[in-house]
Amino acid sequence: MSYAVLACNGVDKAEGALAREVGLLVAEATGGDVICPVLLNRAPDRYQKALGEDALIVVDGCGTRCASKLAAGVGAKPKQKVLLSTLVKASGEHLQASLRLAPGGMALAESIVADIVAALGAPGRQATPAAWEAPTEFFVVLFDKFEFRIPKQGYLFCENDTWARQMGNRARVGISDYLQQQLTDILYFNPPVLGARVEQFGELGEVESSKAIFEIIAPVSGTVVAVNETVVGESPELVNADPYGEGWLAEIEMSAWAEESELLLDGPAYRGTVGPKAADY
Amino acid sequence: MESEAGKNPVLVIPCSGIGKVQGLLSREATYLATDEVATGVTDTLCLALLVTGDEDAVAKVQTHECITIDGCAKACARKNTEIAGGRVAKAVQVADALKNHRGVQPGTAEILTLDGWSVAREIAEAVAADAERLQAGEEVAP
Repeated sequence: MSYAVLACNGVDKAEGALAREVGLLVAEATGGDVICPVLLNRAPDRYQKALGEDALIVVDGCGTRCASKLAAGVGAKPKQKVLLSTLVKASGEHLQASLRLAPGGMALAESIVADIVAALGAPGRQATPAAWEAPTEFFVVLFDKFEFRIPKQGYLFCENDTWARQMGNRARVGISDYLQQQLTDILYFNPPVLGARVEQFGELGEVESSKAIFEIIAPVSGTVVAVNETVVGESPELVNADPYGEGWLAEIEMSAWAEESELLLDGPAYRGTVGPKAADY
Repeated sequence: MESEAGKNPVLVIPCSGIGKVQGLLSREATYLATDEVATGVTDTLCLALLVTGDEDAVAKVQTHECITIDGCAKACARKNTEIAGGRVAKAVQVADALKNHRGVQPGTAEILTLDGWSVAREIAEAVAADAERLQAGEEVAP
């Protein structure tokens, strides 16, 4: 079965931001098409196939139910309708006054999406942002026979050799090339619990190598919204092979990026710490 | 329209684009304007609420100066605000902002890159400047 998702995409309440996230995640999980609600009203012919052949899922943020009204306006018959304000209330979550999705909101969105997908009987999968591009330019610190690579931009480091890469209100987190070489072959990653709250410079799971068990230090605070299941499962060696790309460890929905990023080191600053660390090791 | 807005906040109305990064840029630029760079000077409104004929939303666009931010050339935000009887003092096109950043990868429908955030902030700052002029009773170039 093919699916189409119509979310209200509201902007004047946090539930609207939640509707947007839920709509996109449902579309990703089901491989469905996303319908732009206002364009549907202006140019319904554009969505003729989606309305005629796909199972329509309608996601409303608040009780004005704009998405449902727009669907009714073009004669669509939704397979499933979701009203998020009631689900938020039932969950006990409090979305903040800000129009953006509050910390914890993404975890709630993923929980709601899992329920929607289960009700549809569609195969679900963990939703993860698609725009994490691998770094292409590196500083290289030479020490003895070792070469330690550090991305020139886009990554911030803590002194404990973990990195954070920000995208919106999320950060992807991993360990530096220097640390993975010090640890040697990574055998196991014990991840943090999904949905857990972590503090900046607090524990974010641990990695076990042929040499040591090492506690991962969180470079930012927030809620754990994803872990790299490939690294946890069949391929922990990705941390060695590609520490800034496929070997990432977790994703955190952040709560204080502006303040906390001030406490981290950019690529050039971190580069200055790696040589002395290697010399002391 | 004679300016009845007085010291009313200027309405920043993004399109409801959801499937492409341009829609997200429109939305985030609006949030940056209303929450950070022009707090108190600007407010926002759900376009879907306006399109479904909500009386309060229609009245609001008819009594406030409006700046629309559209992600694509279909200009849903501008056109629907005008259909509802609102005066669009400034119609912003995300595509125009992106023309000044050729080659930049702004992100996806789900999430902006750092470059995408720079573009969103640039749009928000321009919107804020126009909103302040409108609130002062000045005209802005459409």
